[in-house]
Amino acid sequence: MKLPASASIVILFGFVLLSLQLMSSATQESSELGEMYSWLLVINTLGSVILLGLVVVNAYSLVRELKKKEAGSKLTTRMVSLFVLLALAPAAIVFYFSVQFLHQGIDSWFNVEIDRAMDDALELSQSAMNQRMNWHIKQTKQMAEQLQHKSETLIALEVGSLWRESGALELAVFTNQGRILASSSINPSDILPHLPDEQIWLQLKQNKEYFAFDPGDNDEMLVRIIVAIEADQSRFLQVLYPIPVRVTDLADSIEFAFIRYQEMNFLRDSLKTSFSLILLLVLLLSMLAAIWVAFISIRNIVAPVRELVKGTQAVADGDYQQQLPVMSQDDLGFLVESFNQMTRRIARSRDETRAAGLEVENQRAYLETILANLTAGVISFDAAYFIRTANQAAYRILHIPVSHFVGQNLPALAGLHPELADVLTAIQSLLEKADDIWEQRIVFLGPNGRQELLCRGTPLFSQHGARTGAVVVFDDVTDLIQAQKNAAWGEVARRLAHEIKNPLTPIQLSAERLQHKLSKELQDGSAEFLQRGTRTIVQQVEAMKRMVDDFSEYARPSKKQVEKINLVDLIQQVTTLYLPSGITFAMAAASQHVIVEVDPVSIRQVLHNLIKNAQEATAEKCHITIKIGKVTRNNTDYVEVGLYDNGSGLNADQIETIFEPYVTSKSKGTGLGLAIVKKIVEEHGGVIWVDTSYNGGAGFLLQLPVFEFGTMHE
Amino acid sequence: MPSCAKRFSQSLFALCLALGSAPAWAGNYAARIEYAELQTEGDTATIASQIEYRLSPVAKVALDKGVPLTWDVVMELREPGWLWDSVAYRSKQRYRLQFHALLNQYAVQTPQNHSEMFLTLSAALHFMASVRDQQPIPAAVLQPGRYYQLAVRSEFNREALPIPLRPVAYLDHRWFLSSHWSLWPIQK
Repeated sequence: MKLPASASIVILFGFVLLSLQLMSSATQESSELGEMYSWLLVINTLGSVILLGLVVVNAYSLVRELKKKEAGSKLTTRMVSLFVLLALAPAAIVFYFSVQFLHQGIDSWFNVEIDRAMDDALELSQSAMNQRMNWHIKQTKQMAEQLQHKSETLIALEVGSLWRESGALELAVFTNQGRILASSSINPSDILPHLPDEQIWLQLKQNKEYFAFDPGDNDEMLVRIIVAIEADQSRFLQVLYPIPVRVTDLADSIEFAFIRYQEMNFLRDSLKTSFSLILLLVLLLSMLAAIWVAFISIRNIVAPVRELVKGTQAVADGDYQQQLPVMSQDDLGFLVESFNQMTRRIARSRDETRAAGLEVENQRAYLETILANLTAGVISFDAAYFIRTANQAAYRILHIPVSHFVGQNLPALAGLHPELADVLTAIQSLLEKADDIWEQRIVFLGPNGRQELLCRGTPLFSQHGARTGAVVVFDDVTDLIQAQKNAAWGEVARRLAHEIKNPLTPIQLSAERLQHKLSKELQDGSAEFLQRGTRTIVQQVEAMKRMVDDFSEYARPSKKQVEKINLVDLIQQVTTLYLPSGITFAMAAASQHVIVEVDPVSIRQVLHNLIKNAQEATAEKCHITIKIGKVTRNNTDYVEVGLYDNGSGLNADQIETIFEPYVTSKSKGTGLGLAIVKKIVEEHGGVIWVDTSYNGGAGFLLQLPVFEFGTMHE
Repeated sequence: MPSCAKRFSQSLFALCLALGSAPAWAGNYAARIEYAELQTEGDTATIASQIEYRLSPVAKVALDKGVPLTWDVVMELREPGWLWDSVAYRSKQRYRLQFHALLNQYAVQTPQNHSEMFLTLSAALHFMASVRDQQPIPAAVLQPGRYYQLAVRSEFNREALPIPLRPVAYLDHRWFLSSHWSLWPIQK
């Protein structure tokens, strides 16, 4: 069972007080505890040492806590220091003056007058005693003279009368051999007289007489006088005289007082030391016990503060689950309770904020997913027109990785990607100028040829009206515009075929009939004129028919018969047909095994159209380089076929419109060749564009979905 | 074993050694057992011993100032053992020496509570020097065929001193008036 701290402290102080009280009592001469004084001194000293050890251990522990900068250590140090200072200072002052007072008090017991009075009193007592002694010596010597030269018988007879006359306690005559000749005593039971011992005999032999005060049997004082009866010291007379009780008492009293005074005088320094030692022990025990208790109490007081500091540190580190034990119901307990309440509220707020953040994050992810799956590119800007976000469609349209967007502004991006400089500069200009929602079509020449973007910008404003950024949404409408154009051209072609082709046959037939009917009737000159005229009509009608057929071909919906073929073989077959016409080919294929799923007739036409286009664009000997490679776009593998001629090349205006119908730089031809090529390629899920990076002539790049692309060795 | 505990035990051992050997460095003031013997008379035996008392100047001054000095003469018959000796017989006799200022004499109180007066200190000490155990030792104590030793020590009783003098008497070597244990073989 563990005692509570307060009970332990009370018991400790009880022991300290009891021990000090016992030691204080033991210092009294009359006390029965006097025999225990040394043990009490040792016990109290040991107690002081143990308490000192406890204080030192506590102080050392506190110093370590201070070095480790543990919570509450500084407060504990300050409180303990304050307590020690406040307790020690008055205790030390009291101790100093107590010791001073004690020393002065002890010194005041002794002075010269008392010394002299004590000496005089003793001397007076000694004189009185000596006077009595001298009188008894004289009396004894007279009795010895009376017994001189007498026989042993006479001595025995006279001893009784002498004893009665002298008033002595005992009277005895003995020889120098110790043989008793006669004796007489006041006590009838004393058969034998009190004979002298060896020492007295020794003195007798030296001095021939002996006189001294002897202690009697019952604490009485006797005067023993022994004198020689005969000159030859053959016989001695011993008389024991009593000293009156009153005289003995007075003498004892004086002697006791004198001895006591002398003893105290002798012990003066020891007394001072002894009392100072006891005072010091009292001070040490009390102070050390108080300091130790102060350590315990202050630690108990500071404990909630320490817990609070730890708790605050934990909260600062983000641990809001911290709950501290409420150890007391005082102000500190209230503080701890408030802290617990605060952490609970913070934790609740944190959870709510976290939940809200999670919701926001989910919303953001949701929006991002939507944005990522939008076909339109979305780019957001901050107030300084630096790009904050961009979706995947922006990359797909502009062919710039998303990572290149974020954190850049448009002019910097234009510097990195010169092929997009026009569109980016245009967007930047619109962003800076526009104060409201704007919409603009921007045409530019991208890496895949001419592109047309439909851009819509929205500036963003804060609640205070300050511009915080902008959002630009753009879509690649190239294909849409192209489709619209194609549809329009298809309609034109269909109408042309319908409206023009129908009258052509009657015209031709009518012209031929005119020729047939009138050639025989007309004269030679007129007949020849008619023949030339009708031939011209027929030729032009034929030409118009061909033109209309071409239009029909362009406008006619495709009827593809798809099959898997090796594109490399197909290209080789087509190029072989042109070898007799003097065109030279150089082919570089990454693989000889490129299987595509296409309509071979249509693709063959594409190749024919492109080769013819190159042939017509080349004034001198035509040389065509064909490169076949594999690219991956939007997780789909494509075969990329590049056709590069050595002709006059294309200017910027031509590049923009070359795939449109009726666009040609040649004197003959309908201008539908490349339009048909583009149509066929797109019908096969591919793309074709002018490779603007090639300067040696005209270069076309077409991409078709590949079914199987073999390795180099295949 | 932690180093501090080791140092503490070493210090404690040194202190015990110093306290144990205190009479050795006490100078010339410790009493000395000159001889001791077992005197047999018929079936009984008594122990007799001769002790030399040497008082330090401060002890003499204290005596002359009225402070009584007390010695306990301890006599033992020991049977040596493997680890420790067993005590077969033990007696303690107390002698108290005091100065009577009135009579200017020294009084020696014997173990029989009888006071002997002496004119000089040397005479008193001489009287105290001869010690004879008054109690005869029964024959049954000494068993034949066994080896015994006679151990004598004169122990100055500091606790009989006045209280203020006691702490000093434990610390000041001039008050180390006790003798060592003296061992004497018993003559058969």
